[in-house]
Amino acid sequence: MTLPASEGTVEVLEALEGPTSFNMPPINPETQNSRTRKALSNGLLLVLGLLFLAPMVWLAFASLDSQATWSVEWPHFTLSNFQTVLSGTDLQALMNSLILAIVSTAIATVTGTLAAYAMSRRRIPWKGPLLLFVLFTSGVPLTILIVPLYQLFAIYGWLSIIPTAIFLAVTSLPFEIYLIKNFIDAVPEDLEEAARMEKANTFQILTRVVGPLALPGIAAAAIFGFVNAWGSFIVPLVLISPASQQPAPVAIYGFIGAANVRYGDIAAYSLIFCVPVFLLYAMSARLFREGFVLGGAVKG
Amino acid sequence: MKASTLVDGSVIDPSTIDLWRTRKDKERFQWSSLALLTPAFALLIILFLIPVGYAAYLGFTNLTLVGPTAVKWGYTGMANLHRLNSDTEFRSSLVLSAFFVVGSIVGVLIFGYWLASLLMRSTPWVRVVVGGVVVIAWMMPAITAGMTWYASTTAGGTFATLTGLSNSDFLGSYPLLVVTIANIWSQTGFAMLVFGAALRNIPSEILEAADVENASRFQRFRLIVLPMLRPTMTAIVLLVALLSLANFSLIYVMTQGGPGNATNILPLYSYQQAFQFNNLAYGALIGNVMVVIAAIFGVLYVRVATRRSR
Repeated sequence: MTLPASEGTVEVLEALEGPTSFNMPPINPETQNSRTRKALSNGLLLVLGLLFLAPMVWLAFASLDSQATWSVEWPHFTLSNFQTVLSGTDLQALMNSLILAIVSTAIATVTGTLAAYAMSRRRIPWKGPLLLFVLFTSGVPLTILIVPLYQLFAIYGWLSIIPTAIFLAVTSLPFEIYLIKNFIDAVPEDLEEAARMEKANTFQILTRVVGPLALPGIAAAAIFGFVNAWGSFIVPLVLISPASQQPAPVAIYGFIGAANVRYGDIAAYSLIFCVPVFLLYAMSARLFREGFVLGGAVKG
Repeated sequence: MKASTLVDGSVIDPSTIDLWRTRKDKERFQWSSLALLTPAFALLIILFLIPVGYAAYLGFTNLTLVGPTAVKWGYTGMANLHRLNSDTEFRSSLVLSAFFVVGSIVGVLIFGYWLASLLMRSTPWVRVVVGGVVVIAWMMPAITAGMTWYASTTAGGTFATLTGLSNSDFLGSYPLLVVTIANIWSQTGFAMLVFGAALRNIPSEILEAADVENASRFQRFRLIVLPMLRPTMTAIVLLVALLSLANFSLIYVMTQGGPGNATNILPLYSYQQAFQFNNLAYGALIGNVMVVIAAIFGVLYVRVATRRSR
């Protein structure tokens, strides 16, 4: 499961821009010692960075190479790889990924927000154990659900894209509930009381007061759900039987096993597949930063 | 009951007082809460709890994917357990999983901490570039990460070129080591970010005090930094353990559990038995073993998570 994604995104920007320094300032700020240590850590970091970068180089080069192979070579520049994979069945697979991710995100986020609101604001018997159950399910690896779900789906004839999307929603639901609940907890209750005085019902409070104020959290949860469904491979591989409904990860896997390996196309397709994930992660990091500035809504 | 007369002469009719509506604050259970909770929990129960229970049962049946027992199947008692007990492939799968999980934890902890502490004392542009590369590696979906590592470690790939042994097939020669490294590569970014946040939270006064006392760098690390990072480390260890234990996509793309069965960790072995050898029931039983292992990690994880939030 993709649990760490969410916790980590909080720190993405901080780590990249983080101005704070861990070391206390030396008594003489620019001593010889501190300067060599800085140079040393910069050098070490660059070496580590190159090691982390090395596997990605092929992806970038091969995607632009008209004669790509598994080896890294300066590309014979072309954009035709991208054109090829943005048509026909490859494009269809990307569209299927989009359907899978959007349906799953919508279901998980709507049901998750409702449950999170109740968990945050209402008096519920056994709330503690319920929350622990939710937390626990967010940690259980979903690979173990594949066999029973295949059997269930086969019995009811659900081996297709929409039921699979619903299942993927369930896999991100526990964490979404947790995340949204934390954000709703931070929304001042006074605002809700004011709305209740004006005779707003629960639905209105959710859509007009709590929803907008917890929007950064809800959006971050939605992004988590989207990325989770978008990247899933074994679930659609097993649970979707029509080949025309298979999403992009299954297509990528098919590329490697093909009799005639299209190296450039694999690289281009993988890059295209990554782009939404990178963009959404960057967005959610920003959302987390803006999320905790609700204090101004209530005047002390 | 008698109607009571107030001082000003007005009369209160007791029948208008609703005895059941004494408390109107939020502490009372509202039935609408049930409506709010039902969709999410119905989904969780139908598509999560019930399948887990169903899998527990399937593990003790003779269900297959095809053939006569695909239709007429039933409870077979301990037969599958006996088979599991004498299954050498299962035992080697357990050992492979242990190596993969422990190797990943150690690698992620070392590289995550190392990167985080180096980033603390580096120049800004280095921090952005290197931090960015490591974070991108972490964000990459498992399927593309596997793809990328397959391409760069196969014969003639990037690493073969880098080491000057252009015909060596690293993935074929050291499959378990390579998939473990790929897994470390794809999870280090997370550990780096979390360690970074934890390191920034260590008050500099404490470290200054240690310097005043002439503590060596190693003492500073062992006596101050390490104890303060312990909760963070526990969380990372458990998350990496859970994610690696259940890792399917990365290895499946790179090796499909092979060559031979050299990288056939539990999720792959379960999948192989269920969908390639058609033994759905036996695959479910291997899944059950994973549930037990994951549940142990899961309980520990919940404990740590709830302790931290207090």
